[in-house]
Amino acid sequence: MSDSQQPPVLKASVHDLRYFSTLLRGVNFVNRATVTITQTGFVVVVEEARTLLATAYIFSEIFDEYTYNSDSTEQTVAHSQGSDGDESQKLEENAAFEISLNTLIECLNIFGTAGNNSTAKQGRFTQWKQDGGSDDEVDADEDDNARGKDRRRSTAKGIDQYFGGSGKGTGMRMSYPGSGYPLTLLIMEDSAGPTTTCELTTYEAEPHLELPFVAERTVLKIILKSSWLRDALSEIDSSCEKLTFIGNPPPDTAVNGRQRAPLRTSIAPLLRIQASGTFGSTEMEYPNDREVLESFECIQPVRFSYRVAHINRTLRALQSSSKTSLRIDDEGLLSLQFLMPAPRKPNKPDGSSDGFIEFRCLPLDDEVH
Amino acid sequence: MRFRASIENPQTFFRIIQAIEKLQKKCIIKFTEDVMYIICNSEANEGGIQVWSQIKIDSVFTSYRIQSNAANVITLALSSETLLAILRSAAVPSKSTSAYETEEIVMKLAKKNDQAVLSFEISGMTRQGRRVHVSHDVKIEVMKPADVANLKEPMCPEPDVHIILPPLQKLRTIVERLRPMSDFLAVRANNNGRLHLSIQTDGVAVDTEWKNCKNTTRAAGASQEPDPETNDPDQLFSVLVSTRSFFKFLNSHVVSTTTIACICQNHCMILYVYVGDLADAGGVLTFYIPGQILGD
Repeated sequence: MSDSQQPPVLKASVHDLRYFSTLLRGVNFVNRATVTITQTGFVVVVEEARTLLATAYIFSEIFDEYTYNSDSTEQTVAHSQGSDGDESQKLEENAAFEISLNTLIECLNIFGTAGNNSTAKQGRFTQWKQDGGSDDEVDADEDDNARGKDRRRSTAKGIDQYFGGSGKGTGMRMSYPGSGYPLTLLIMEDSAGPTTTCELTTYEAEPHLELPFVAERTVLKIILKSSWLRDALSEIDSSCEKLTFIGNPPPDTAVNGRQRAPLRTSIAPLLRIQASGTFGSTEMEYPNDREVLESFECIQPVRFSYRVAHINRTLRALQSSSKTSLRIDDEGLLSLQFLMPAPRKPNKPDGSSDGFIEFRCLPLDDEVH
Repeated sequence: MRFRASIENPQTFFRIIQAIEKLQKKCIIKFTEDVMYIICNSEANEGGIQVWSQIKIDSVFTSYRIQSNAANVITLALSSETLLAILRSAAVPSKSTSAYETEEIVMKLAKKNDQAVLSFEISGMTRQGRRVHVSHDVKIEVMKPADVANLKEPMCPEPDVHIILPPLQKLRTIVERLRPMSDFLAVRANNNGRLHLSIQTDGVAVDTEWKNCKNTTRAAGASQEPDPETNDPDQLFSVLVSTRSFFKFLNSHVVSTTTIACICQNHCMILYVYVGDLADAGGVLTFYIPGQILGD
C-alpha cells in the first residue's frame, strides 16, 4: 500500500535470527529501549537509574537483506546521489523509536528457537583450540596467542550455527513503514511450518542519558578475553554491593617489553578487582601477562567503584562475547565494550559484521559510598 | 460394591492424570464395565475449562472386575495430585533412580478405618532379586447415583469447523510466549486447513498462522446438507479463550497423538485429545473451553 508513494523506512531479512536475538538479549535489562535505524544498522539503547547506559550496535551486514530509506523524501534523493562523506547530516535524519524490548525478544523466540545456545556450547568447543584453526585464521601478530585462540573458538561456533544440532534456523523478515507505524516482524521456521506475524507498537523516542566517553581522557584501557572477566565477575558473591577497579601503571615498559613471567611476582598487579559487601570482600588480581591482558594502558594509578548490581547487568552480554575492552576516564566513567562474534558467512570476511555491545556506567561517589 | 483391576499400562494412565492434575486438584472418575470416565467440571476452573474424558478399560487395565448396585458403575471423587504421585511411583521405576522394578500394580476399592480408599498395591523386584511390596491408599468419596446423574456434559451447538491441530508441543512453545503478553487468545480456523492463534494488545499484535492443517468432516458431509451461508471453506471462525486455560489444555501434550479442535464461533472451543493412534484410540480427553466475550 505504502509502496506506491513512499518506500518503507526499513526492510530487513535474515535466515537465522539467533544472532540478532543474542545481541538484543545482551541489553535486555530494562523493558523500554530506544532503537535507531541507520544506513549501517541498528543502535539499541537502554538506560537504568540515570547511571547505566547500554548500547547494542547491530550492523546491517548480519542481515541477508537490508534496505533503509530515510523518512523524508528529500533525504532519500540526497542519499541516492550523495556520497558517504556526509556522515553527520545522515545521523540526524535517522529513524528512531522506542519499543518494548522484552516483547520483541519474546516474539523473536516465538518458536523457542532463538534460545541462547552459544554460551552453552562454548565449553564444548574449547577443546578445538589446538586443531580447529584454519589457514585464514593465522594471525599476523605472533605473540598475540590469546586472540588467535579466541578467533578459532568463534569459528567453531560459527560453523555450528550452520550445521548445529537444531538444524535450520528461524528466518525473519522485518519492516518498519515509518514513524507512527508498528514494527512488523514475519517469523518462519521453515517453508512448511507456521508463520508468525508480530506487530509491535512503536513509541516516540525520548531523549535518554548521554554519557560521552572522550578518548583523550582515558586513564585506563584494557583489552582482555571475555572469559577472564566473566570468571572474575562470577566469583563475586551476591551479597556484595560495591565493585572497585584498581589499575596501576606498568612498572617500566622498556624493561617489561619482552620478559613477563620472572618479573611477575615482584611487581604490583596491573589490574585488581575488589568486591565488598556487608559480609566481607573479595579481591582478584590479574597478572601482567599478555595471555591474560591482551593490551594494557594506564598512565596513573586508578581506583573507581561501581554498584555490583549495575556491573551485573553486563553479564548476559559478557557471556556471549569473545573479547572485552574496559576503559575508565579520569572522572571514573566506565566503558565496557563487548565484541559479539557473528556467525560467519561464506562470502564475507571474518569479523566484518561482528556487532558489539557497550555499557557505560557512572562511578559511585567515594565520600558517600 | 467390588472393584479390582491391575494396571497394565501405568505410563499411559500416569500421563493422562498428569494432564488432568494441572487443571484441577480434585477430579471425578467414573468406572463402568468397559470405559473409565475422568471428569473435571469444577466451576472454579481457570476460564471455566472442563474435561470429560473416556478411556477404554482395555488400554490401561487387565483383569478388570467391577460390581455395584448402580448398574455396575462406580463413581468416585479423589485428589488428582495424590493419584499422580502414586502413579509416578508405580510408572517411573524402570529408571535407574528407583530401587526396584515394577512387576504388577493392582488397584482395588477398600475400606480402611471406615474410610473408603482406592488402594494400589505395587509389587516389584529389587536388583538383588528380593521381592518388594509397596502399597498406597488414596482417600476417595464414593458418589451417590443421584449426584452422578446430575453430572452433565456442557451443551454445545454444532461446531462450525473441525481441524486437526499441529503437534501440541509446538503450540505449547508458542502459547508460552504469548501468555505473559495477553490474557486472551483468539483461535481462528477455516474449513480449508488454516489455523490462526493470535493476540492483540495495545503494545503488540501477534498472529501465528498454519496452513495445510487437515479438516475432519465428521458430520457435515454425511448427515446434512451444508448451509449455503457457511459454505465458503475460506471463512474463518473464531473464538476468544483465556490464554491460561488454553495453556492448561496444552499440558495434555504428554499424552496426545492427534488432537482435533472444534470451534463454535464466539461460543466455545472443544478439543479432542486422542490417546494412542487415531484409528485405534485407547481413549479421548475432551476439553471444553468456553469463549470469552469482551465487553466492548
